Amino acid sequence: MGEPFIRVENLEFSYDDEENPIPALRNVSVDIASGEYVAVIGRNGSGKSTFAKLLNLILEPTGGHIYINGKDIADENMTDEDVFAIRRDIGMVFQNPDNQLVATIVEDDVAFGPENLGIPSAEIRKRVDEALATVGMSEFAKHEPARLSGGQKQRVAIAGIVAMLPKCIIFDESTAMLDPVGRANVVDMMEKLNREQGITVITITHYMNEAVRADRVIVFNDGEIVADGKPAEVYANSELIQRAGLDLPQCASLVEGLKAYGISVDGDCTTPEKCADAILRAIGGSRGK
Amino acid sequence: MKNISIGQYYSANSPIHRLDARTKVLLAILYIVVSVLCKNVFAFALLLISGIFTVLLSRIPLRIILRSLKPIIIIMLFTVFINLFMTSGDRLLFEWKFIKIYVEGIYNAVFMAVRIVILIVGASLFLTYTTTPIKLTDAIERLLWPLKKIHVPVHEFAMMMTIALRFIPTLSDETDKIMSAQKARGAGFDNGGLIKRAKALIPVLIPLFVSSFRHADELATAMECRCYHGGNGRTKMTVTHMRFSDWFAMLLMVALGTAIVFINIYGKGYSM
Amino acid sequence: MENKIQIENVSFVYSPGTTYRTDALDDVSIGFEKGKITGLIGHTGSGKSTLVQMLNGLLKPASGRVLIDGEDIWEKPKEISKVRFRVGLVMQYPEYQLFEETVRKDIAFGPKNMGMSDEQIAKSTETVAKIVGLDESVLDKSPFDLSGGQKRRAAIAGVMAMEPEVLVLDEPAAGLDPEGRNSIFAAIADYQKQKNATVIIVSHSMEDMARWCDNVVVMSHSKVYMAGTTDEIFERASELVSVGLDIPEITRLMMLLKKRGLDVDLGAYTVDAAIASVKKLFDENKDR
Repeated sequence: MGEPFIRVENLEFSYDDEENPIPALRNVSVDIASGEYVAVIGRNGSGKSTFAKLLNLILEPTGGHIYINGKDIADENMTDEDVFAIRRDIGMVFQNPDNQLVATIVEDDVAFGPENLGIPSAEIRKRVDEALATVGMSEFAKHEPARLSGGQKQRVAIAGIVAMLPKCIIFDESTAMLDPVGRANVVDMMEKLNREQGITVITITHYMNEAVRADRVIVFNDGEIVADGKPAEVYANSELIQRAGLDLPQCASLVEGLKAYGISVDGDCTTPEKCADAILRAIGGSRGK
Repeated sequence: MKNISIGQYYSANSPIHRLDARTKVLLAILYIVVSVLCKNVFAFALLLISGIFTVLLSRIPLRIILRSLKPIIIIMLFTVFINLFMTSGDRLLFEWKFIKIYVEGIYNAVFMAVRIVILIVGASLFLTYTTTPIKLTDAIERLLWPLKKIHVPVHEFAMMMTIALRFIPTLSDETDKIMSAQKARGAGFDNGGLIKRAKALIPVLIPLFVSSFRHADELATAMECRCYHGGNGRTKMTVTHMRFSDWFAMLLMVALGTAIVFINIYGKGYSM
Repeated sequence: MENKIQIENVSFVYSPGTTYRTDALDDVSIGFEKGKITGLIGHTGSGKSTLVQMLNGLLKPASGRVLIDGEDIWEKPKEISKVRFRVGLVMQYPEYQLFEETVRKDIAFGPKNMGMSDEQIAKSTETVAKIVGLDESVLDKSPFDLSGGQKRRAAIAGVMAMEPEVLVLDEPAAGLDPEGRNSIFAAIADYQKQKNATVIIVSHSMEDMARWCDNVVVMSHSKVYMAGTTDEIFERASELVSVGLDIPEITRLMMLLKKRGLDVDLGAYTVDAAIASVKKLFDENKDR
């Protein structure tokens, strides 16, 4: 094991507000390995979005270091080319799908990133077709984005990033404005990109049922990381989740509520399927006694 | 409001539609120049015939072509009247008190009317009807590319056009929503005098401005994330090439111009 | 049981006579019970947003009637704006409608249009600010300087300040974090209680519906698919699944347990009910 893909060390960030700067991140250190699927959760203003924006240099840290593939991106000697390289490697999908689409035709929009990178035309054509196929939007290639649904627009936005062949994609609350169908599609897409193409996925979300699908959950509160682990471990600490202003998955609340009656259900209870297994095991266990 | 169509693009698959957008921009300019060159009846006849031929070739229904003339009817009538009454000549046709109409006046009026029609139909036929706005923007960008040498921000201008086109439906949608929201709070938009109506728009315009700025801000960030850094070193997915048909079309147009110049010189029709 | 709003055989079509023609409502009849919170659920495009805009006369039915307290709201089309004061509509992402210099002035916009006196407006503003949880100090700020959650609450307060008998909200908590969601729903419930208002909430979140609503109306393909009390609807969870709608996670757990042979209460759609039901299972097992 060499350097992790992303290494964050003592990261600090404050928003400029003339006299009194507002600290948004305090002493954040974390490693993310290549190919991980990470959910970053926390209430509004907890610093989770700031964290994401620092990773591809939309914001510049006011302290600490971020190493991408071992290279310090906060270094003053970064050239424009270095910055483009970072942004090519770490793509970002935002909340409002409307504000990410540049062109009036779907395929032209997907081509926007590769065009900026100066890739030969034939290669762009190939990448655009592949990216649209990946997100299942090939049949809409010639459509106008304005006529698509929110979820479809978001998939086009994802294709636009995929066409740049990134190593990592950050989803900054990309499902917040979508309806359940659109949301499910986008989350499936994240999983697919991670599992099938080995892309590192970092998703920032309010929805715990999205977070539990990741391999790892990082909880932000008040500019600090307060928990970091497997979803089951993190959500087992109900007190911490509530302190961070988040909801427990309903099944985890059930298990939590049963504790009050002296009934303990052990194991991963983050989804109904897993929870049903755990309850059956627990009942079997109590029967055995 | 989702069905709003930008420009007047008429979707069809005709030889005119298939021409390169750059060709069409040049053709439109040439056609207008040629129409100004016409000096006598025969020249005008040739111009009209070629115009009708192009319309037929474009497969755009006549009523749609005529629709483009609607906004300029007033201007046309005005020019016709001015020419009719203000031209003086040798052959007096009609006189009543201070009004005098000469034969030359009638010719002038007709020529001017035809010229205006040709101008509008020619421009919209080659540009707006058969070319999508986005292709048009691209074409203008590429035609004006040499101007970059003298620091004209050609690419930036084209990008602005593209984004404006992209956001027209979004903003029109948003205007609808904001108007509904304010109506739900009792705002009225269709009663009262002019000042009252203008005032009633404030609750719509301010949120619309705020939202436009938010769009712009977020879009700029998203573009930056996709490595946008202006036109330098940028490639294009679809590079259109001038084909035989493009050169042929331009050749025809030049031939038409030459023919008209000859008719001007040798034709002894009614000249103006 | 008395219905505050009654929809009778209402149909509506978008862009009639064009290729974009879409049926939004197809002969819909449904009542909304007075003094209750009714949840309206359905897919995007199921017609629920259109229905919502019928309730305060923003859209006019192509056919059929909309009755409030038994009176047809389109009886006198010129007075439709009066209906809009009686039926307050909070559209999706209402913070995009804020425009005044201060939050206080923005809240007063609706009441002013109604012709409320300054005193009344001040009183009403104070009441609703308390309900949605906006401090006095926030009221004199520019609405554009507030946080996302505060903006949302200010916008909702702007509609509540008109003191409508019926409050209709389209996805009032969309895009907010869990704390934000809860505070919005709590404010809506509080308004309902204080004014004994009739409330209609459109939402995609089944968990929120289960928690806050007395009644639920399910729309599908421009028609009412089912309607009833929250108990009745979530007991038929499998039917919700069959039209492709979500069900509360806890209901899904109950269905899974049932499928695997455990005798649980399928009508349990809140965490508390589920705890009681699962606890019973454990107790029975212990007795054996």
